Amino acid sequence: MKISVNWLKEYIPVTHTVEEMANKISLTGIESSPVHNAEGLDKLVVGHITSISQHPDSDHLNITTVDVGEDDDIQIVCGAPNVANDQYVIVALHGAHLPEGKRIKKGKIRGQESNGMICGLDEIGVPTKYVPEAYHKGIYVFPEVVTPGTDALVALGLSDDMVDMDITPNRADTLGMRGAAWEIGATYDEKPKYTAPVIDEAKIVDSNDLAVDIENKELVPDFLVRTLKNVTVGESPLWMQRRLWNQNIQPVNNVIDAANYVMIEFGQPIQAYDLDKLQEKRITVRNAKSGEKFSTELNNQDDDENTNTILNKNDLVVAAGEQILGLAGVAGGISARVTNETKNVVLESAVYDGAAVRKAAQRHDLRGDASNRFEKGVDNGAVSDALVRATQLVDENAHASEISDELVGVGTEAKPTVIKSKISHINHLMGLDLTAEKIMSIFDRLGFTAELDNDDVTVTIPTRRWDMSIEADLVEEVIRIYGYENLKGTLPTGMETAGGYSPKREFSNKLRNILLGQGMNEVINFSLMNKKESEDFNVIDTNYTKLLHPMTEDHEYLRTSLIPGLVNNVAYNQARNNNDISIFEQARIFDRPDGVDRPNEIEYIAGAISGNIALDSWNTQSKQVDFYDVKGIVEELLSFTNIDANFEYRATNKISNLHPGQTAEIIADGQSIGFIGKLHPDYQKEHSIDETFVFELNVDTLFGMEKRNVQAKTAPKYPSISRDLAILVNKDIESGAIVKDIFDNGGKYLIDVNIFDVYQGVNIKANHKSLGYHLVFQNPEDTLTDDTVEKAFDVVKDSLVQKFNVEIR
Amino acid sequence: MSLNDKLKDLRTSGIDDAKRAERIQELNDLRVNLLGKKGPITKALRGMKDVPVDERPEMGTLANNVKKDIQAAIEEKMEELNRKIVAKKLEEETIDVTLPAQPKKYGTRHILNQTIEDIEEFFIGLGYRVDAGHEVEEDHYNFERLNIPQNHPARDMQDTFYLTDQLLMRTQTSAQEGRDMESHDFSKGPLKVISPGVVYRRDDDDATHSHQFHQIEGLVVDKNVSMADLKGTLEALCRHVFGAEREIRFRPSYFPFTEPSVEVDVSCFNCGGKGCRICKYTGWIEVLGAGLSHPNVLEMSGIDSTVYSGIAFGLGPERFAMLKYGVNDIRDFYSNDVRFLEQFKGVN
Repeated sequence: MKISVNWLKEYIPVTHTVEEMANKISLTGIESSPVHNAEGLDKLVVGHITSISQHPDSDHLNITTVDVGEDDDIQIVCGAPNVANDQYVIVALHGAHLPEGKRIKKGKIRGQESNGMICGLDEIGVPTKYVPEAYHKGIYVFPEVVTPGTDALVALGLSDDMVDMDITPNRADTLGMRGAAWEIGATYDEKPKYTAPVIDEAKIVDSNDLAVDIENKELVPDFLVRTLKNVTVGESPLWMQRRLWNQNIQPVNNVIDAANYVMIEFGQPIQAYDLDKLQEKRITVRNAKSGEKFSTELNNQDDDENTNTILNKNDLVVAAGEQILGLAGVAGGISARVTNETKNVVLESAVYDGAAVRKAAQRHDLRGDASNRFEKGVDNGAVSDALVRATQLVDENAHASEISDELVGVGTEAKPTVIKSKISHINHLMGLDLTAEKIMSIFDRLGFTAELDNDDVTVTIPTRRWDMSIEADLVEEVIRIYGYENLKGTLPTGMETAGGYSPKREFSNKLRNILLGQGMNEVINFSLMNKKESEDFNVIDTNYTKLLHPMTEDHEYLRTSLIPGLVNNVAYNQARNNNDISIFEQARIFDRPDGVDRPNEIEYIAGAISGNIALDSWNTQSKQVDFYDVKGIVEELLSFTNIDANFEYRATNKISNLHPGQTAEIIADGQSIGFIGKLHPDYQKEHSIDETFVFELNVDTLFGMEKRNVQAKTAPKYPSISRDLAILVNKDIESGAIVKDIFDNGGKYLIDVNIFDVYQGVNIKANHKSLGYHLVFQNPEDTLTDDTVEKAFDVVKDSLVQKFNVEIR
Repeated sequence: MSLNDKLKDLRTSGIDDAKRAERIQELNDLRVNLLGKKGPITKALRGMKDVPVDERPEMGTLANNVKKDIQAAIEEKMEELNRKIVAKKLEEETIDVTLPAQPKKYGTRHILNQTIEDIEEFFIGLGYRVDAGHEVEEDHYNFERLNIPQNHPARDMQDTFYLTDQLLMRTQTSAQEGRDMESHDFSKGPLKVISPGVVYRRDDDDATHSHQFHQIEGLVVDKNVSMADLKGTLEALCRHVFGAEREIRFRPSYFPFTEPSVEVDVSCFNCGGKGCRICKYTGWIEVLGAGLSHPNVLEMSGIDSTVYSGIAFGLGPERFAMLKYGVNDIRDFYSNDVRFLEQFKGVN
């Protein structure tokens, strides 16, 4: 809420600039910023129209003479339809600056001299929606005599300096000027002074015009009304109007304005009804019937039309029988609205359950000043006072003949909160060592009553601070008023703890480092994806997990694979000519078993490589990535897992969107741990990307597998002997099978088999391929003889011939 | 010619020949020719029999000296020629060192993960465990256990992606607090933990909002932790991340799960507090929220709030990285343009 310094001065002395105040209030309690209004506007004065005549050459212009407080009246041509003699008006003099850089200069309008402009409020910066209805089309007319020549901005309150307090939900006590004055007062060690509201005793009558009957004390703990008879509804005095439009509230009439004014002054929303429009002279608060309609002027569409709201049975309404007077705590209706014809008025001061108000306001998109306050709470110790104040103001401005006693529909005793604590414990929690005296003085500054008994302190909190309930609240009050800037930082002492990552996280970090070492950049993608993406790579064949209320279709499903995100990254980059891409991501996928709502969160590591892995340069030729480059990265990654298992690459054509002839499932000890493959050409085309290879591995599974127990062996001292083997074999036979067979038959001294040649084509039998292997033999204990090696080599060759029908070349 | 003269002549001509040689081979030939068994010196020494017996030792010495001198001359020249050969070879092998390298690239860690890890390591050094928690969480832990019951106005501050009535995408890493508190064995010492991870809010993505972002929650629960400890801890953190000269300040704020609650500002690392565009001319930048654990939060985890107290803080790696590196659009972190990613090579 914006706190006008001029208004604040009624309660506490103010000597600081709004900048200083905003800073101090921010550091002590509530984030605040300074507001200077009407900056850049000048030469706007109050003028008194002393004569008016029709413009000779126009049927809509008038020539006025205006007293602007100078020796001579000035002539101004005015086109406003509501201009009339003897009005007090806003005059922009020659040279005046108006909003948006507009400047007023003297000149001639259709041949008649015009030495300024008579202005409407909207023309000097008040948004039209806060301008009183009567002045929407035309100039603003002061409701009372104002000395001509007075600075119009001052007279209208438009140049008031303000402090805008942006409250957190717990400090709604400052959503009224009186509460704000307490807060700012505590900041500056000034106790605010208030005048108690009073009603003219002589007018009070024992009234039975109206019954008030509230049953639901849970949702409506307080409901008080007063009636006022024979009021004269009209325009509010200027002082009240200006305080309202400064709060972004449109002045309406002296009854509704008084109600709104008290909301700003006390933080307590007040409703006004026309007593004579009540269809039954009995007010209740009840649940709406489903489908019941309700019309209000409060709406968030910024248009002038009333919104017709369809209510449901969860809505709480204020009603007179079937007639709905208002949506409780949210909006007043139009059915019993106070208008200029109203004679008898009902004022309501009530407390409604915050959650109920919040839901209703949300449900109907009718959030406003009243619902904002009820949602966050109001001072139930001030409900009655606020009603007295509203009654007083209506009476002062609209002159009632009779005022009823307070009619209590329901009332709940306002009890101050009592908090017991210990000075030592408050200090302990703050990490300070303040004296009891100092702490007691802070409670006093806040207007709390505190009693000290040795170390024990009992603090009585006034009802206006309903946010306070526990000792920790006291700690906060003490430390913020004492000043956080006076608190010296320390580090927690206490038993030493061994910090660190979990073993799982250590494992993850290791894997990530391998991929970084392979030159791959790390990416971070969204976990939420669209339906198609989630279906594209459901390799683990799990149930999808869907948001109940997604924001957009793009982020609706929890991912079951990291690949779609990586593919998007490749596409995004290649669309920007970053063609050579090597990226990986380490994150969770969501695997939801049958029959449960909660998906398991499983960590995966996945990569995508597209384009060249070596570039054309002055001394090298470019090389496009292929399956074996990516396989090399995956193998190195797996070797660093330190898992005690053989990793097997099993060709698969079962993964949709991967190339059926260039994809392998990776198996460790019979368990699938991931895959590696080329994207299907159709899929690549769909995403407009170049040939791309991907892999994905289940980190949780890898982490869970048994690790090697490394026992050191001395490096072999004896030389190794090698043999090369060239074979011709049917092209469908996988090299993996041949290597396995070589190892199976190579004897205990065979330590390594490398493939050095794969050839198919010219000079090779149809449907055959030529493979070349390099076999390495070594005996760690002794020097191998050629004889031993030759024998082992023969066994290998014989087996290959028998099993695979190879031709030894 | 006397033997004496012959030897001296041989010396002179031998040394001259050695000096004149231009190739290693010439020197090798010279050595064989002059000093070998069939060489002139050996031959000359055969005339020793004509030398009087008493002069023979002298002559022997002379002959040896001549050999040595020639040998030395050859070796000297040999070295000289070798030096030339090496120099020539080096000359021939000279390359243009300004030509581009063969790239041997190390990948770049995502800047958000670099930022997170820098902060994690800072806290590990202070004895904190790292506990990542769950991204899909129960309403119970995400809200109820943090003193945010149904209909609490604070639920308005964060719109939530629900999966079911009770399951949601966590909106804050504070959701891990309840789990950490209830599982901790306080007989083994204080609870000191940070929970980094991904959180989700029902927001439209724009330059300053992302429906997915990261947070790091920090929590210490012990018999003797205070607001002063919170300030000291965050002071040390901000100095670690933003520079040793930084100051911090606390401003009162409100979070349902801490009381007192504070917003923490760090003195502007750009202008040092004088005021600039980055700190919006205030000298301070808001970096995180913190407070003392609300007694309800402790009690709900079975911790006696009259004996134990807690400090808790939550910070946003996106915000830290945006401030520190001047990133203006949060979406840059998630579009993964490699040119954006690679500029953060080695910053942490």
